[in-house]
Amino acid sequence: MLRSAILSKTVPKCLQIATQNSNALSVVPGFFVRQQQTLPVVDPSQTLEKKGYSPFGTKQASVAEWSLARLDDLLNWGRKGSIWPLTFGLACCAVEMMHIAAPRYDMDRYGVVFRASPRQADVIIVAGTLTNKMAPALRKVYDQMPEPRWVISMGSCANGGGYYHYSYSVVRGCDRIIPVDIYVPGCPPTAEALMYGVLQLQKKVKRMKTLQMWYRK
Amino acid sequence: MAKFLGLNRLTKLFQIIQECGGLKQTYLKLYRNDDLKIGTLVGIDKYGNKYFENPFYFYGRNRWVEFTPHVNMDYDGSQIPADWYGWMHYKTDLPPIRDGSRPKYKWLADHSENLSGTKEAYMPYTTTPPKVEAWDPSAKKQ
Repeated sequence: MLRSAILSKTVPKCLQIATQNSNALSVVPGFFVRQQQTLPVVDPSQTLEKKGYSPFGTKQASVAEWSLARLDDLLNWGRKGSIWPLTFGLACCAVEMMHIAAPRYDMDRYGVVFRASPRQADVIIVAGTLTNKMAPALRKVYDQMPEPRWVISMGSCANGGGYYHYSYSVVRGCDRIIPVDIYVPGCPPTAEALMYGVLQLQKKVKRMKTLQMWYRK
Repeated sequence: MAKFLGLNRLTKLFQIIQECGGLKQTYLKLYRNDDLKIGTLVGIDKYGNKYFENPFYFYGRNRWVEFTPHVNMDYDGSQIPADWYGWMHYKTDLPPIRDGSRPKYKWLADHSENLSGTKEAYMPYTTTPPKVEAWDPSAKKQ
Protein backbone atom coordinates (compact mmCIF):
# COMPACT_ATOMS: atom_id res chain seq x y z
CA MET A 1 0.00 0.00 0.00
CA LEU A 2 2.72 2.41 1.04
CA ARG A 3 4.80 1.65 -2.02
CA SER A 4 1.90 2.24 -4.35
CA ALA A 5 1.23 5.50 -2.59
CA ILE A 6 4.86 6.59 -3.03
CA LEU A 7 5.02 5.56 -6.66
CA SER A 8 1.86 7.30 -7.74
CA LYS A 9 2.55 10.66 -9.26
CA THR A 10 0.16 13.15 -7.78
CA VAL A 11 -0.38 13.81 -4.15
CA PRO A 12 -4.21 13.82 -4.22
CA LYS A 13 -4.11 10.40 -5.83
CA CYS A 14 -1.82 9.21 -3.04
CA LEU A 15 -4.38 10.33 -0.52
CA GLN A 16 -7.13 8.63 -2.43
CA ILE A 17 -5.24 5.33 -2.54
CA ALA A 18 -4.42 5.60 1.12
CA THR A 19 -8.04 6.11 2.01
CA GLN A 20 -9.08 3.15 -0.10
CA ASN A 21 -6.61 0.66 1.24
CA SER A 22 -5.91 1.30 4.87
CA ASN A 23 -8.11 0.06 7.66
CA ALA A 24 -7.45 2.60 10.34
CA LEU A 25 -9.27 5.78 11.13
CA SER A 26 -7.43 8.81 9.87
CA VAL A 27 -7.71 12.40 10.86
CA VAL A 28 -8.29 14.73 7.99
CA PRO A 29 -8.39 18.24 9.49
CA GLY A 30 -11.90 18.85 10.71
CA PHE A 31 -13.48 15.44 10.28
CA PHE A 32 -12.85 11.72 10.57
CA VAL A 33 -13.11 9.32 7.66
CA ARG A 34 -13.38 5.60 8.08
CA GLN A 35 -11.04 4.00 5.62
CA GLN A 36 -12.95 0.78 5.38
CA GLN A 37 -15.90 0.10 3.17
CA THR A 38 -18.99 1.05 5.13
CA LEU A 39 -22.62 0.24 4.63
CA PRO A 40 -24.45 2.72 2.41
CA VAL A 41 -26.75 5.07 4.26
CA VAL A 42 -30.23 4.64 2.87
CA ASP A 43 -32.22 7.67 1.89
CA PRO A 44 -35.93 6.78 2.14
CA SER A 45 -36.85 8.99 -0.82
CA GLN A 46 -34.77 7.03 -3.30
CA THR A 47 -34.14 3.31 -3.49
CA LEU A 48 -30.71 1.82 -4.00
CA GLU A 49 -30.15 -0.69 -6.75
CA LYS A 50 -30.89 -4.22 -5.61
CA LYS A 51 -28.05 -6.70 -5.59
CA GLY A 52 -28.57 -9.75 -7.74
CA TYR A 53 -28.66 -13.23 -6.29
CA SER A 54 -25.58 -14.47 -8.09
CA PRO A 55 -22.11 -13.51 -6.86
CA PHE A 56 -20.86 -13.88 -10.45
CA GLY A 57 -23.16 -11.24 -11.92
CA THR A 58 -24.89 -11.58 -15.27
CA LYS A 59 -22.36 -9.84 -17.53
CA GLN A 60 -20.36 -12.79 -18.80
CA ALA A 61 -18.41 -12.51 -22.05
CA SER A 62 -20.18 -15.29 -23.92
CA VAL A 63 -23.39 -17.29 -23.80
CA ALA A 64 -21.50 -20.41 -22.72
CA GLU A 65 -19.91 -18.60 -19.80
CA TRP A 66 -23.23 -17.10 -18.82
CA SER A 67 -24.97 -20.46 -18.79
CA LEU A 68 -22.13 -22.06 -16.87
CA ALA A 69 -22.37 -19.29 -14.30
CA ARG A 70 -26.07 -20.04 -13.93
CA LEU A 71 -25.35 -23.76 -13.58
CA ASP A 72 -22.76 -22.92 -10.95
CA ASP A 73 -25.39 -20.88 -9.14
CA LEU A 74 -27.69 -23.88 -9.15
CA LEU A 75 -24.96 -26.24 -7.99
CA ASN A 76 -23.89 -23.89 -5.21
CA TRP A 77 -27.49 -23.37 -4.14
CA GLY A 78 -27.86 -27.10 -3.71
CA ARG A 79 -24.57 -27.48 -1.91
CA LYS A 80 -25.00 -24.62 0.50
CA GLY A 81 -28.50 -25.74 1.41
CA SER A 82 -27.38 -29.10 2.73
CA ILE A 83 -24.03 -28.86 4.40
CA TRP A 84 -23.61 -31.96 6.50
CA PRO A 85 -20.95 -31.63 9.16
CA LEU A 86 -18.94 -34.48 10.52
CA THR A 87 -18.71 -34.26 14.27
CA PHE A 88 -15.16 -34.11 15.42
CA GLY A 89 -15.58 -33.03 19.02
CA LEU A 90 -12.27 -33.04 20.83
CA ALA A 91 -12.82 -30.89 23.90
CA CYS A 92 -15.13 -28.37 25.52
CA CYS A 93 -15.91 -26.75 22.13
CA ALA A 94 -17.83 -29.90 21.34
CA VAL A 95 -20.42 -28.89 23.93
CA GLU A 96 -21.03 -25.67 22.04
CA MET A 97 -21.15 -27.65 18.84
CA MET A 98 -23.91 -29.77 20.38
CA HIS A 99 -25.75 -26.58 21.27
CA ILE A 100 -26.17 -25.53 17.67
CA ALA A 101 -27.96 -28.80 17.06
CA ALA A 102 -30.33 -28.11 19.95
CA PRO A 103 -33.64 -26.24 19.54
CA ARG A 104 -32.41 -22.79 20.52
CA TYR A 105 -29.98 -22.43 17.60
CA ASP A 106 -31.42 -25.28 15.58
CA MET A 107 -28.96 -25.82 12.77
CA ASP A 108 -31.40 -28.15 10.98
CA ARG A 109 -33.26 -25.16 9.58
CA TYR A 110 -30.20 -24.40 7.43
CA GLY A 111 -29.98 -27.99 6.22
CA VAL A 112 -27.03 -28.63 8.51
CA VAL A 113 -27.39 -32.13 9.90
CA PHE A 114 -24.72 -34.02 11.80
CA ARG A 115 -23.56 -37.06 9.93
CA ALA A 116 -21.43 -39.54 11.80
CA SER A 117 -19.75 -41.02 8.73
CA PRO A 118 -16.92 -39.14 7.03
CA ARG A 119 -17.84 -40.68 3.69
CA GLN A 120 -21.17 -38.87 3.68
CA ALA A 121 -20.12 -35.59 5.25
CA ASP A 122 -19.31 -32.29 3.52
CA VAL A 123 -17.63 -30.37 6.29
CA ILE A 124 -15.64 -31.38 9.32
CA ILE A 125 -15.94 -29.20 12.41
CA VAL A 126 -12.72 -29.53 14.37
CA ALA A 127 -14.01 -28.62 17.82
CA GLY A 128 -11.31 -28.55 20.44
CA THR A 129 -7.66 -29.14 21.13
CA LEU A 130 -5.92 -31.22 18.49
CA THR A 131 -3.26 -33.30 20.20
CA ASN A 132 -0.32 -34.95 18.49
CA LYS A 133 -1.89 -38.31 19.16
CA MET A 134 -5.17 -37.31 17.50
CA ALA A 135 -3.57 -35.62 14.47
CA PRO A 136 -3.09 -38.74 12.31
CA ALA A 137 -6.67 -39.76 13.04
CA LEU A 138 -7.91 -36.33 11.96
CA ARG A 139 -5.95 -36.57 8.74
CA LYS A 140 -7.31 -40.04 8.03
CA VAL A 141 -10.87 -38.98 8.67
CA TYR A 142 -10.40 -35.91 6.46
CA ASP A 143 -8.94 -38.06 3.67
CA GLN A 144 -12.02 -40.27 3.76
CA MET A 145 -14.36 -37.37 3.07
CA PRO A 146 -15.57 -36.98 -0.54
CA GLU A 147 -14.91 -33.83 -2.56
CA PRO A 148 -15.97 -31.08 -2.25
CA ARG A 149 -15.11 -30.89 1.42
CA TRP A 150 -14.65 -28.05 3.83
CA VAL A 151 -13.19 -27.57 7.25
CA ILE A 152 -14.38 -25.36 10.07
CA SER A 153 -11.79 -24.85 12.76
CA MET A 154 -13.59 -24.07 15.98
CA GLY A 155 -12.04 -22.37 18.99
CA SER A 156 -8.60 -21.03 19.77
CA CYS A 157 -7.10 -24.49 20.32
CA ALA A 158 -8.01 -25.67 16.84
CA ASN A 159 -7.14 -22.30 15.31
CA GLY A 160 -3.64 -22.01 16.65
CA GLY A 161 -3.09 -24.12 19.72
CA GLY A 162 -4.68 -21.54 21.99
CA TYR A 163 -4.07 -22.14 25.65
CA TYR A 164 -1.98 -25.24 24.89
CA HIS A 165 0.19 -23.55 22.27
CA TYR A 166 3.39 -24.28 24.21
CA SER A 167 2.45 -27.77 25.26
CA TYR A 168 4.65 -30.68 24.20
CA SER A 169 1.73 -32.74 22.99
CA VAL A 170 -0.53 -30.36 21.12
CA VAL A 171 -0.62 -29.44 17.43
CA ARG A 172 -0.37 -25.67 17.10
CA GLY A 173 -3.46 -25.28 15.01
CA CYS A 174 -5.32 -27.86 12.96
CA ASP A 175 -4.34 -26.01 9.78
CA ARG A 176 -0.98 -27.75 10.13
CA ILE A 177 -2.78 -31.00 9.37
CA ILE A 178 -5.68 -30.09 7.07
CA PRO A 179 -6.62 -26.97 5.03
CA VAL A 180 -9.10 -24.82 6.93
CA ASP A 181 -11.89 -22.75 5.33
CA ILE A 182 -13.47 -21.02 8.28
CA TYR A 183 -11.84 -20.11 11.57
CA VAL A 184 -14.23 -19.49 14.44
CA PRO A 185 -12.51 -17.58 17.24
CA GLY A 186 -13.38 -17.95 20.91
CA CYS A 187 -12.57 -20.08 23.89
CA PRO A 188 -14.95 -21.73 23.44
CA PRO A 189 -16.89 -19.84 20.76
CA THR A 190 -20.56 -19.41 21.55
CA ALA A 191 -23.00 -21.57 19.67
CA GLU A 192 -24.05 -18.35 17.97
CA ALA A 193 -20.51 -17.79 16.75
CA LEU A 194 -20.29 -21.28 15.33
CA MET A 195 -23.65 -20.77 13.64
CA TYR A 196 -22.27 -17.61 12.10
CA GLY A 197 -19.25 -19.61 10.95
CA VAL A 198 -21.55 -22.08 9.24
CA LEU A 199 -23.34 -19.19 7.53
CA GLN A 200 -20.00 -17.79 6.42
CA LEU A 201 -19.20 -21.19 4.94
CA GLN A 202 -22.51 -21.06 3.09
CA LYS A 203 -21.44 -17.74 1.64
CA LYS A 204 -18.13 -19.24 0.62
CA VAL A 205 -19.87 -22.18 -1.03
CA LYS A 206 -22.08 -19.73 -2.88
CA ARG A 207 -18.97 -18.22 -4.49
CA MET A 208 -17.56 -21.55 -5.71
CA LYS A 209 -16.79 -21.65 -9.43
CA THR A 210 -16.72 -25.38 -10.12
CA LEU A 211 -17.96 -25.41 -13.71
CA GLN A 212 -16.56 -22.04 -14.65
CA MET A 213 -13.06 -23.12 -13.67
CA TRP A 214 -13.49 -26.36 -15.58
CA TYR A 215 -14.47 -24.37 -18.69
CA ARG A 216 -11.61 -21.93 -18.31
CA LYS A 217 -9.10 -24.77 -18.27
CA MET B 1 -63.61 -24.61 20.22
CA ALA B 2 -61.94 -22.45 17.60
CA LYS B 3 -58.68 -22.96 19.39
CA PHE B 4 -59.25 -26.68 19.56
CA LEU B 5 -59.80 -26.86 15.80
CA GLY B 6 -56.77 -24.70 15.17
CA LEU B 7 -58.82 -21.95 13.56
CA ASN B 8 -56.94 -19.29 15.47
CA ARG B 9 -53.78 -20.29 13.63
CA LEU B 10 -55.61 -19.89 10.36
CA THR B 11 -56.72 -16.41 11.34
CA LYS B 12 -53.12 -15.65 12.28
CA LEU B 13 -51.98 -16.75 8.85
CA PHE B 14 -54.55 -14.53 7.16
CA GLN B 15 -53.50 -11.69 9.41
CA ILE B 16 -49.88 -12.18 8.34
CA ILE B 17 -50.81 -12.27 4.66
CA GLN B 18 -52.82 -9.10 5.10
CA GLU B 19 -49.93 -7.42 6.91
CA CYS B 20 -47.47 -8.37 4.17
CA GLY B 21 -49.77 -7.01 1.46
CA GLY B 22 -50.92 -9.89 -0.67
CA LEU B 23 -49.94 -13.45 -1.42
CA LYS B 24 -46.99 -12.52 -3.64
CA GLN B 25 -45.44 -10.25 -1.02
CA THR B 26 -45.96 -12.98 1.57
CA TYR B 27 -44.17 -15.47 -0.64
CA LEU B 28 -41.29 -13.07 -1.28
CA LYS B 29 -40.96 -12.40 2.43
CA LEU B 30 -40.97 -16.10 3.19
CA TYR B 31 -38.35 -16.68 0.51
CA ARG B 32 -36.06 -13.99 1.85
CA ASN B 33 -36.50 -14.35 5.61
CA ASP B 34 -37.39 -18.06 5.81
CA ASP B 35 -40.02 -17.04 8.32
CA LEU B 36 -43.38 -15.33 8.54
CA LYS B 37 -43.95 -13.23 11.60
CA ILE B 38 -45.88 -10.16 12.52
CA GLY B 39 -44.81 -7.66 15.10
CA THR B 40 -44.54 -4.02 15.90
CA LEU B 41 -41.96 -2.02 14.01
CA VAL B 42 -39.63 -0.75 16.71
CA GLY B 43 -37.36 1.29 14.50
CA ILE B 44 -35.44 1.68 11.28
CA ASP B 45 -31.73 2.42 11.33
CA LYS B 46 -30.01 4.69 8.85
CA TYR B 47 -28.90 1.77 6.70
CA GLY B 48 -32.51 0.77 6.11
CA ASN B 49 -32.74 -2.26 8.40
CA LYS B 50 -36.10 -2.66 10.09
CA TYR B 51 -36.35 -3.96 13.64
CA PHE B 52 -39.43 -5.74 14.91
CA GLU B 53 -40.65 -7.05 18.20
CA ASN B 54 -43.49 -9.30 19.23
CA PRO B 55 -43.51 -10.71 22.76
CA PHE B 56 -45.93 -13.42 21.62
CA TYR B 57 -42.94 -15.39 20.37
CA PHE B 58 -40.49 -17.12 22.66
CA TYR B 59 -37.58 -15.19 24.13
CA GLY B 60 -34.78 -15.25 21.60
CA ARG B 61 -37.20 -15.12 18.68
CA ASN B 62 -39.28 -12.17 19.79
CA ARG B 63 -36.93 -9.57 18.32
CA TRP B 64 -35.89 -9.76 14.73
CA VAL B 65 -34.54 -7.69 11.90
CA GLU B 66 -35.54 -7.38 8.29
CA PHE B 67 -32.47 -6.33 6.41
CA THR B 68 -32.47 -3.44 4.00
CA PRO B 69 -33.96 -4.48 0.64
CA HIS B 70 -31.01 -3.52 -1.56
CA VAL B 71 -28.70 -6.24 -0.16
CA ASN B 72 -31.23 -8.81 -1.38
CA MET B 73 -30.10 -12.32 -0.33
CA ASP B 74 -26.63 -11.21 0.78
CA TYR B 75 -27.74 -10.19 4.23
CA ASP B 76 -25.55 -10.94 7.19
CA GLY B 77 -25.77 -10.58 10.94
CA SER B 78 -22.86 -8.15 10.88
CA GLN B 79 -24.96 -5.64 8.97
CA ILE B 80 -26.68 -4.74 12.22
CA PRO B 81 -24.93 -1.57 13.40
CA ALA B 82 -23.39 -1.25 16.84
CA ASP B 83 -26.17 0.86 18.32
CA TRP B 84 -28.85 -1.71 17.51
CA TYR B 85 -26.65 -4.66 18.46
CA GLY B 86 -27.41 -4.28 22.15
CA TRP B 87 -31.14 -4.29 21.60
CA MET B 88 -31.01 -7.28 19.27
CA HIS B 89 -29.00 -9.24 21.80
CA TYR B 90 -31.16 -8.33 24.82
CA LYS B 91 -28.41 -6.30 26.44
CA THR B 92 -30.91 -3.50 26.71
CA ASP B 93 -34.66 -3.13 26.29
CA LEU B 94 -34.36 0.47 25.19
CA PRO B 95 -33.90 0.75 21.44
CA PRO B 96 -31.42 3.47 20.44
CA ILE B 97 -34.11 5.72 19.01
CA ARG B 98 -35.88 5.85 22.38
CA ASP B 99 -32.74 6.00 24.50
CA GLY B 100 -31.77 9.62 24.98
CA SER B 101 -28.69 8.91 27.05
CA ARG B 102 -26.60 7.54 24.20
CA PRO B 103 -23.82 9.83 23.03
CA LYS B 104 -24.13 11.19 19.53
CA TYR B 105 -20.71 12.41 18.53
CA LYS B 106 -20.28 13.62 15.01
CA TRP B 107 -17.07 11.65 14.71
CA LEU B 108 -18.86 8.33 15.11
CA ALA B 109 -17.99 6.36 11.99
CA ASP B 110 -20.46 4.58 9.76
CA HIS B 111 -20.88 0.88 10.36
CA SER B 112 -19.12 -1.59 8.15
CA GLU B 113 -20.14 -5.20 7.77
CA ASN B 114 -17.95 -8.28 7.94
CA LEU B 115 -15.84 -8.02 4.82
CA SER B 116 -14.36 -11.53 4.96
CA GLY B 117 -14.31 -13.10 1.54
CA THR B 118 -14.42 -9.79 -0.30
CA LYS B 119 -11.60 -7.74 -1.75
CA GLU B 120 -11.86 -5.36 1.17
CA ALA B 121 -11.10 -8.04 3.75
CA TYR B 122 -8.33 -7.27 6.18
CA MET B 123 -5.23 -9.26 5.34
CA PRO B 124 -2.41 -9.26 7.86
CA TYR B 125 1.09 -9.74 6.65
CA THR B 126 4.45 -10.26 8.30
CA THR B 127 7.56 -8.17 7.77
CA THR B 128 9.94 -10.52 9.58
CA PRO B 129 11.74 -13.47 7.96
CA PRO B 130 10.13 -16.85 8.67
CA LYS B 131 11.42 -18.76 11.69
CA VAL B 132 11.05 -22.11 10.02
CA GLU B 133 12.98 -22.87 6.84
CA ALA B 134 11.49 -25.55 4.66
CA TRP B 135 13.67 -28.50 3.80
CA ASP B 136 14.74 -28.58 0.18
CA PRO B 137 15.25 -32.23 -0.87
CA SER B 138 17.17 -31.34 -4.01
CA ALA B 139 19.82 -29.35 -2.16
CA LYS B 140 23.25 -30.91 -1.97
CA LYS B 141 24.84 -31.95 1.29
CA GLN B 142 27.38 -29.51 2.53
